[in-house]
Amino acid sequence: MRRALTAVGFALGLPVCLVVVWWFATRTSANPFVPQPVPLVTTFLDTWFGDRFASDVVPSISRFAIGAVVAVVLGVVIGLLIGLSRTLRAFTEPTFEFFRAVPPPVLIPILGLLIGVGDDMKVAVIVLGAIWPVLLNTIEGVRAVDDVQSDTSRSYGIRGMNRVRFQILPAAAPQILAGVRQSLPIAIILMVISEMFYTSAGLGFSIIQFQRQFAIPQMWSGILLLGLIGFAVSMLFTLVERRLLRWYHGLKDLENAS
Amino acid sequence: MPPETSTAGRGRTLPDDQALLQVRGLQKIYDTDGGGIEAVRDLTFDLGRNELVCLVGPSGSGKTTLLKCIAGLLEPTSGSVTLDGRQVTGPPKKMAVVFQEYGRSLFPWLRVDGNVELPLRNAGVPKGERRRLVGEALESVGLTHAARQYPWQLSGGMQQRVAIARAIAYQPEVLLMDEPFAAVDAQTRADLEDLVREVRERLGVTVLFVTHDIDESVYLGTRVVILSSSPTVIQEDIEIDLPEARDQLETRAMPRFTELRHHVYEQIQLAKQGFRPDETRVG
Repeated sequence: MRRALTAVGFALGLPVCLVVVWWFATRTSANPFVPQPVPLVTTFLDTWFGDRFASDVVPSISRFAIGAVVAVVLGVVIGLLIGLSRTLRAFTEPTFEFFRAVPPPVLIPILGLLIGVGDDMKVAVIVLGAIWPVLLNTIEGVRAVDDVQSDTSRSYGIRGMNRVRFQILPAAAPQILAGVRQSLPIAIILMVISEMFYTSAGLGFSIIQFQRQFAIPQMWSGILLLGLIGFAVSMLFTLVERRLLRWYHGLKDLENAS
Repeated sequence: MPPETSTAGRGRTLPDDQALLQVRGLQKIYDTDGGGIEAVRDLTFDLGRNELVCLVGPSGSGKTTLLKCIAGLLEPTSGSVTLDGRQVTGPPKKMAVVFQEYGRSLFPWLRVDGNVELPLRNAGVPKGERRRLVGEALESVGLTHAARQYPWQLSGGMQQRVAIARAIAYQPEVLLMDEPFAAVDAQTRADLEDLVREVRERLGVTVLFVTHDIDESVYLGTRVVILSSSPTVIQEDIEIDLPEARDQLETRAMPRFTELRHHVYEQIQLAKQGFRPDETRVG
């Protein structure tokens, strides 16, 4: 209990200090571009928890969620297929390095022409950017599966889909999840950027609109909301990862201790 | 002298109806960039039911290669392995392998009982049956209390017990063991040796045990097959005529144990110096 309280104290310490410093520094400020803590909170609640919650926040988060899930599933499935085949690896890896280097935002105008300017396009942009860390990490994780482990599977007749399920996926899971961890912030960034073109709703659109209308406090509240979404996603991911990889963290703790 | 000495370069062979595992003219050449490397040249020997055959040889004599060929994990360049009358082309169902590297052979994401259960789950054994087999296997290696722990929380010797339990639960006819105790300490090793003897007696399995330890081979085996240096042929195949009930103190103190140990030691020294039975036969 005491340890848990200490941990919470450490986690909240810096944010609390920053808010206090910010409050003091802006206490007497009259600059309209600089936000103040207390008004920001009220603006935040007024702006996002009214009509905009259903019209902007929910659609954005849904697109992010769909895009991230599709990117992870596709990345893992394609990564498994490629990771298990030496030929496919040699065939695809140089090409992947090229595609990976293309920044997805530059594709938005093209994708808008090709698949329209609706939700499909925005999800596609998120998938195109967020898939790479998952895909490349899955390939690497599958490739690096231990030989003795694989011999063990073979000698016990664990083959095909059963081998993927019982050996390959769990063995590659630490690396795959490391890829997912990198993918999620990319997906959030692309969620925002994809909403800055051809749109009339969404978080990215709203923030840009506030900016152009000089609605500075509202703009700041949008930035705050994005930060909070990123934080929540990261916390959620850590929770899931801790559960899935309990064995891995236990093993590492033991190795580090010895 | 041992009673059943083989012809030069070959092990003892049995009539087809008595042999469980038959190895005939096994050769393995690895393809490398610098040309082929002949790890195993010509191996012929048989395992009868419920035998415990130890394979010893100088380091680099292709022991692991041979074992992998027998296990169906490697394809021999020529020659054949036959189990119960059927040629081995992939890992057979009636065989289980215990590897030296227990830490890499056990799956770290599964608990002890999960590891033992996995081959059965894969084979589609019903749940009740699985639970019974896992329970029995863990009991026979003395690890019932550790069922819910992860393998990496256990000592090396205990981890190798888990691997043995996994093999037992699979109910094989042949148990292949590749230097299984090379990485555990001496006292644990003695316990594990007795465990292997016990498992063989109780379950009636046939064991092929690869080791580089001469004492271990004589203490454990009903037969010892000595390999030559690489490219490997069989240097000698001797029957261990010690009493069936072995005891770490008494058996090892017997004059016959010492004699056999000396004999195997000399043969391995000869092998290391490059003596080859196939060449003496020719010359």
